[in-house]
Formats: sequence, structure tokens, C-alpha cells
Amino acid sequence: MSVLDELVAGALADQRERETKLSLTQLQQQVRNMTSTPLDATRWLKQPDCIPIIAEIKRASPSKGHLADIDDPAALASQYQSGGASAISVLTERHRFLGSFDDLDAVRQAVQIPVLNKDFIVTPYQIWEARAHGADVVLLIVAALDDAKLRELLDLAHSLGLNALVETHTREEIDRAIAAGARIIGINARNLKDLSVDVTKYKALAANLPENVIRVAESGVFGIKELEMYARAGADAVLVGEGVATASDHELAVKRLVEGGKVVKESESQPLSTHDGPYFGQYGGRYVPEALVHALDELESVYRQAKADPEFHQEFARLCKQYVGRPSSLTEAPRFAKLISDKVSAPVRVFLKREDLNHTGAHKINNALGQGLLVKRMGKHRVIAETGAGQHGVATATVCALLGLKCRIYMGQFDARRQALNVARMRMLGAEVVEVTQGTRILKDAINEALRDWVTNVEDTHYLLGTVAGPHPFPTMVRDFQKIIGEEAKEQLHDDYGIEHPDAVIACVGGGSNAIGIMNAFLDDDRVRLYAYEAGGNGPESGDHAIRLTEGTGQLGVFQGAKSYLLENAEGQTLDTYSISAGLDYASVGPEHAWLKDIGRVHYDYATDKEAMSAFLDLSRSEGIIPALESSHAVAGAYKAAQDLIDKGVENPVLVVNISGRGDKDVATAGKWFGFLTDEQSKALDANGAHGNSVDGE
Amino acid sequence: MNDTHNTFESSAAATSDVRHTQPLGFTNAPSKTATRLQELADNNSPAFIGYLPYGFPNKEYSLKAFETLVKHGVDIVEIGLPYSDPVMDGPVIQAASHIALDNGERIAGVFDAVETVAKAGGVPLIMSYWNLIFRYGVERFARDFSNAGGAGLITPDLIPDEAGEWIEASERYGLDRVFLVSPDSTAERLAIVANNARGFVYAASRMGVTGERTTISSSPELLVERTRQAGADHVCVGIGVSTPEQGSKVGSYADGVIVGSALVHQLLDGTGRHVKPEEQGLADLAQTTHDLAEAIHGARG
Repeated sequence: MSVLDELVAGALADQRERETKLSLTQLQQQVRNMTSTPLDATRWLKQPDCIPIIAEIKRASPSKGHLADIDDPAALASQYQSGGASAISVLTERHRFLGSFDDLDAVRQAVQIPVLNKDFIVTPYQIWEARAHGADVVLLIVAALDDAKLRELLDLAHSLGLNALVETHTREEIDRAIAAGARIIGINARNLKDLSVDVTKYKALAANLPENVIRVAESGVFGIKELEMYARAGADAVLVGEGVATASDHELAVKRLVEGGKVVKESESQPLSTHDGPYFGQYGGRYVPEALVHALDELESVYRQAKADPEFHQEFARLCKQYVGRPSSLTEAPRFAKLISDKVSAPVRVFLKREDLNHTGAHKINNALGQGLLVKRMGKHRVIAETGAGQHGVATATVCALLGLKCRIYMGQFDARRQALNVARMRMLGAEVVEVTQGTRILKDAINEALRDWVTNVEDTHYLLGTVAGPHPFPTMVRDFQKIIGEEAKEQLHDDYGIEHPDAVIACVGGGSNAIGIMNAFLDDDRVRLYAYEAGGNGPESGDHAIRLTEGTGQLGVFQGAKSYLLENAEGQTLDTYSISAGLDYASVGPEHAWLKDIGRVHYDYATDKEAMSAFLDLSRSEGIIPALESSHAVAGAYKAAQDLIDKGVENPVLVVNISGRGDKDVATAGKWFGFLTDEQSKALDANGAHGNSVDGE
Repeated sequence: MNDTHNTFESSAAATSDVRHTQPLGFTNAPSKTATRLQELADNNSPAFIGYLPYGFPNKEYSLKAFETLVKHGVDIVEIGLPYSDPVMDGPVIQAASHIALDNGERIAGVFDAVETVAKAGGVPLIMSYWNLIFRYGVERFARDFSNAGGAGLITPDLIPDEAGEWIEASERYGLDRVFLVSPDSTAERLAIVANNARGFVYAASRMGVTGERTTISSSPELLVERTRQAGADHVCVGIGVSTPEQGSKVGSYADGVIVGSALVHQLLDGTGRHVKPEEQGLADLAQTTHDLAEAIHGARG
């Protein structure tokens, strides 16, 4: 005899005994005399913005034995309800679960949300009984019932205004439940070896269920971790027993789960182009010292006010036009397109979005300007920023000069040496440049030092982060300041060239701000394929690269304020990165990109140093436009994207490539790479520290 | 029902096998750290909480250093896990972390330090940046840490809002969760931290990163008071506390005094970048620990 058989037999014997005291007819009469009607639990158990929690009054179970005493189930149920539970599950099985109908009565009196009667129900009498005790939902276990019985009990429950949670363990049981007319299906996807949650199994079981069926994840939900796993796997509601019953603070335990469910729902909300942080899927968040929380809250609130203030938008637009020189051109590149067309043996049109024509030579100024205006609104007067090779530092120093703000730029010593001219440029603009001698002395160390400064001087200082990475609200805010790139491109393509939409939008991705900037306007347009190219350095096998998003290189991790993909070793220590372009040379990537990768909206790939340099020369010579080394990765990507489009059967594809910055700053590096400089000239440039390259921070 | 499933498909014998792989609900075990803080408070004494990075300057040396701390008066030991990007630490601890990593520090070995501290009679806490724990596996870390006799985790870059998985794991294994508050934390933030902390709340004496300071402002006393009002049972003060005088002053109102850089400093030479010979380092560490312990434990007269 299996445990289930044993439990069913026990429950049946108990029911028979109760029936000797109260006949079915008497019970039915009792129910007919009831004035209250059951609550329709389906209205509680599926919500657009949260994962409803069914919290269980659970004293013991056969697999775990005694769990909690629960002297006052009504009080416990009230605590669950206060914590935000959507329903209460009450066990009435007495032998192994130590439940009773007294528990059910007490809980029914105590709460105004649906109550589930959990027992081993195999007879109509038990359904009438559940109704008589005020339950709104009954449990039916498919494994304990044949098809006819299941349908009979389900029909009876429905006819009494009750819902049934139909518990299943296998796909076959699920099919039987659906055939019987189940509206709420409980899916038990526990790994039988260690009782852990097996989300893969859950996904397989829950796949292809009819839309109107509510999916309740019914096993192994202990706390927030399992809740999130189930929620992300598509569960509508979860049932939690010991995780709430044995907690020291029951209300708080339920509340945590409810909040966690909301986060998951919010983090997956659509449309993509207006999706705001803190979470992009499981990525993002605020992994920062508590000391920064106040500043981040303040920033978020000031940003929100500014966003709703037409005057802010007017001021931003005015400066974009009169100071930055926006809109930046959208230039058709027919001679470069010919190079690609020859390569892929099909006609391709290419348009270049010319962020290189902005004041200071890159897209970085858009964000620096936007945040600079926010600094004024916050009443702060000191700005700090990180920079890798200097472009974001220069943009920030420029905006601080424009707005009369005190400015300090952190720059890794290694970067500062090879970018001496940019260091001088920032100083000319009135900024203080601090060389960071800690760590590996590159971009990430500059960010660490900027964060330390911010923690110390947060009261009067704003950290003007240069990319869509870092803690919330930076990824969202920087995206909003950069999305003008794509909005312009879309309009220019339509108005100037009469093209309804591009077939592909292509950008390079370091932290990811230029890529998000040009892609945002197209995220919700399925006709447009999106391609982003990381720094391949010497290739993925070499270990010298900054490929975070390609399979097998980056890991899910927490770095400099956000959860995202990260290059780290097995111990969780950050790995050194390498790229010829310092702007793409960063160990992590903005959380929105991590999400866009996961949901498959953006295709991420990489271009190696060699490919980028070859593309650099191609564009320079075919169009007379020298792109930044960062942007050269997008140019190299254009060849790959074109091939992909042709392979997918797109005819005469139209490509928009984001030229995020100009290559003047990279002339020394490129000159050396191509041998355009004599050894003496190259050495002289090295000695001068002029071997700079790159739009940093990206 | 879901609990019967494993038994009605597999044999009943599997049930007992399964038990130890998933803990039985929340443990509800008393907090080790809070228990020690209470014992000390009953004797009208604040706790001396001492920090050193694990593996600094190397594994063996650091184990001896932890033992030295406990022997000379540290009640609760904050075992730091060296990290490549420690944003809450000043130059001394950054340098120590670097030395440890360069000398091959590995997380798996930290549990030896935990055992060493527990065996010596100290309460072992680990201080770690979140990515290290995240990478190790939160549940796995909680299990291994708990098995080694660990008391809890101090998380400088994990706020309660992001700590769901850790809260769950720490509840399962009965581990303490030490979150930080800072002088500019709002009442709302203090309440969030106090509600989610277990063991004690770590009050930063000032805005900024770890490191020694010649003076301590009066703000920590106010912060301790505000944090208690927000619901925290125990509040300990750290960041910038380095001398016996400061320890005594802070100990007069806080439940515990946390000293880090000043202890780390004892193992570094004058340059701050190189390590002292072991014998001298440990002797200096013992002396400094002793002086601090005397001042802190005697803070309330």
C-alpha cells in the first residue's frame, strides 16, 4: 500500500465515521440553508501585476514530520492575510497532517480571502462538507481518482460554486485534469531525489496549457528564490506551506513573497521601449552600499519629476540643438554598402547615424548634458565621473564648464598615461583629473574610486555615470537620455530617404549606452532586427577580450551596482579584459542588454581587433569617415549582420549602423596598427603619451 | 498532496534520505551573535568586533592572526573575504585584499578560518562583497558556512531590498544577517534594515569607506539611537574606529565596537604595501588587540 493509498483510506474512514453522525442529506440541507456564497477564487489567483500566494496552515507532513505547533490557526491566517496572501490553505487531514475541520472553521471566520480545504477528497460527501465549513476551494488529487470520479467531483464542486485546485504530477495527469474541466491546476514539479524545485520539469509540465487555466506551482516553494524561479517559468500563483508556517514572522514571510512576485511581474513588463528599471528580467537592481541608497532614491525622484516637466524637456532639446548640434546626420554610405554587397553577394543599403558629428565627438555628450541638468535641479554643485580613455570624461568636463559645476574625473593611471592628451583636454575644461593607482588601474578601477568618492561626499556630489550600467536608476535614465539617437534615425530614414523601417540596426556594445540609444526606438518593431557587437579582442579562446554576452564567456554576476553578465573567475573575482578599444574594455554590461539577450530581442556577437581595424579602414577609405575604434566594431558587425539577413531571406536589406564616435582620437593607435607611422614616429607618440584610443565607458 | 508525492512514487525509505538535503523549515535557532552581545551586555560591556581579511597575507599567517584576535580580547570576529573590487574599503584594506589574492586566497579555505575562530571561542562572522557569495551559490554558502560553525554574514554592498535569496538561506540555516546603515539613512531605510537584520545592525560612523581617522564625530551616537528606535535590538558601530580612546567612547553607547583597518595595519610595514615578518606582525597585533579590548570592555566603567 502506497502512502497515498494509506492517506486516502484513512481520510475515507474518517469521512464514513462523520457521515454516521451527519448524513449526506442532512449535510446537503445544511449547505442549502447557508446564506453566504463562496468566493470565486479564480479572481484572486491570477493577477497581471503580482504572483498570488496561497499560504498554508501546516503543522506537519508525512515527508517532514512535525513542522509547527500552530495553536491558533485563525491568528496565523490573519497574519498571512495581512502579509498579502491571496488565499489560505487549510489541511483537514488529521493523521499525518494534524489538521481538522475546527481549523477550517476558525480560519474561515478569520479571513475574507478564499480558503482552500486540503484533504484527500474522494467522495461527494467531502465536497459538501468543505462547502458547509465555508471553504471556497477544494483539493482534488488526480493520482487518487479515476477519470469518472474526477469529473464527478469537479462538476459537483463547480455546481456548488466552489473551485477545485486539481493537483497533478505528470503530463498525463495534467491532460486528464484538463479533460475533466479543471480551471485551476496545481503542478507538482519537485525533484524527487532532493525535493528541490525543478523548474525545467515545471516548464515541461506547464507548457501548452490552455490560456484560461490557472497554473499553481504547488511544491517546494520555500521562499523568495523558489517563488522567483516559478514566477519566471510562468506560474500564475504559488502555494507555500512550511516557508510561511515555520517563519518567525509569518506576516513578513508572506510579504516578502508577495513583493518578490511583484518584482518579477514588473521586471517582465512590456512594451520593451518604455520598460523601466530597477529590474530588466532578473538583471539590474541596486547592489550598492546602504550609504548610497538615499542618493539613488533622490536621483530617481528628481529624474521622475524632470521627466514629467515640459520645461526640462525644452531645455534639454534646446541644448541638444544649439550646443551639441543635434540632430546628428543620417548619412547613406553607398560605397561602403558596395563593399558589403560584394562580400555577401547581394545588394545591401547602409545608413550611418553620425554621433561622431556631435560636439566633443561622440554620443556621450547626450547623457552628460541630461544628467548635468539634473544636477542643477538637485541643487548639487559637485560632479564626479569615471573615464576610460577620456571621451565620457571630456563630455562631463564640457557639460560642467557649460553649467558652472565643479568637476572631478577619475581615470585609471594606465589609461591616463596612454591618454595624456585627453587628460590635458579635461584639465583645460576646468576639471580635476585624478589618476587611480588602485587595482588594475583601468576603467573599472576608476569606477570603484568614483563610487568611494560618492559614498563619502554624497551630500553635495552627483556621480555622473557614463553608461547604461550601474545601479538603478542609471540604466533607465541614461537610456532615456540616449534614446534620441534611434528616434532621430527612425524619422530621418523615413523623412529623408522615404524608407518605412530599417531591416537591421547595428551598434557596438561596451557598457551599452550607444546601442540602447539607437535601438530603443526599434525595440517594439518586430520588422527590425537588432545586432550588437562586443569587443572580441584577440578572440574568445585567447582570454584577451571583453565578450560578456556570448555563450560560455560571461557569467551571471553582481558588479558595480547591478546584476548582469560579468567576466569573472571561478571565485567570483573580476577578470581583466582586453580590447584595442578602451571604450568597450569593460568586464560587465548594462542589465537591459543582459535581458534583451535572454529574451532574444537583440542578437549579440563580437568583432575581434582585426575585424574592427579592417572595418575602420574600409569605412575611412570608402566614405571619408573615420570611425572611433569602438564604432569600428559596429562597422565590422555590419558585414556579419548583412550575411545573417541574406541567410534569413531578407531581400535588399537596409542597415543602420551607429557611428557612436569619431576616430580622430584613435589616429595614433590606427597609424601604428597599419604601419602608417615610422618606428620613430610611433615611439615619439608613445613617449608623449599620445597613444590614445577610444570612446570610453561606452 | 505535494508532500506525499516523494513517498507514494518512491519508497518510504527514500524519505529519511531526503531529509537532510532540505532543512526542516526555518530553523528558528537563536542568533549566535545576538546571544553573545546579550551576554556581554548583561555584564555591562560592549562587544569588541575585530576585522581581518582571510588569507592575508597568506592562509597560515591569517589563521594565526584570527586566533590572536580572539585570544587577546576580540569577542566577535569579522572575517573578510578579499575581493578584486572592494568599493566600501579604503587603502589599507584594499592593499591587504590585493596581497591575499596575489598569494592565492581561495573562498573554500575561509571555512577553516571560521572553525579557527569558533574553536578559539570567538563568534565567527564573514564580511563579503555580494558577488563572491553569489558566485559560490547562496544556499551552498549558507550550508558550508553553517557546517563550519559560522554565525552570520556582513554584506557591505547588499541592501535588504536585494537580499531575498540570502534572507531565505539564512533563515533556513539560522545565520545572522548584518546589514549596514549610515548617518544619512532615512527613518524609512533604518526601519527596513532593522526589520531584515538578524544579529545586529552595523552603523557606519560616518559617510565613507573603511579606514583609520583621528577623530570621530558625534553622529554615530545619534545614528545608534535612531537605529534602535527603528526596531534594532543591537547596534554596533564601525568604520573609522581605530584607537582605544575611540573604542571606549563608542563602546559607551553602542552594543559593539568594530575595528578593522587599525588591526590590518599591524600586519603591514611602514609603506602600507608590504607585510611585516610573522612574529613581529602577530606580536603587534596582539598588543593592539589587547589595548583596544581593555578600552572597549571597560567603556562603561
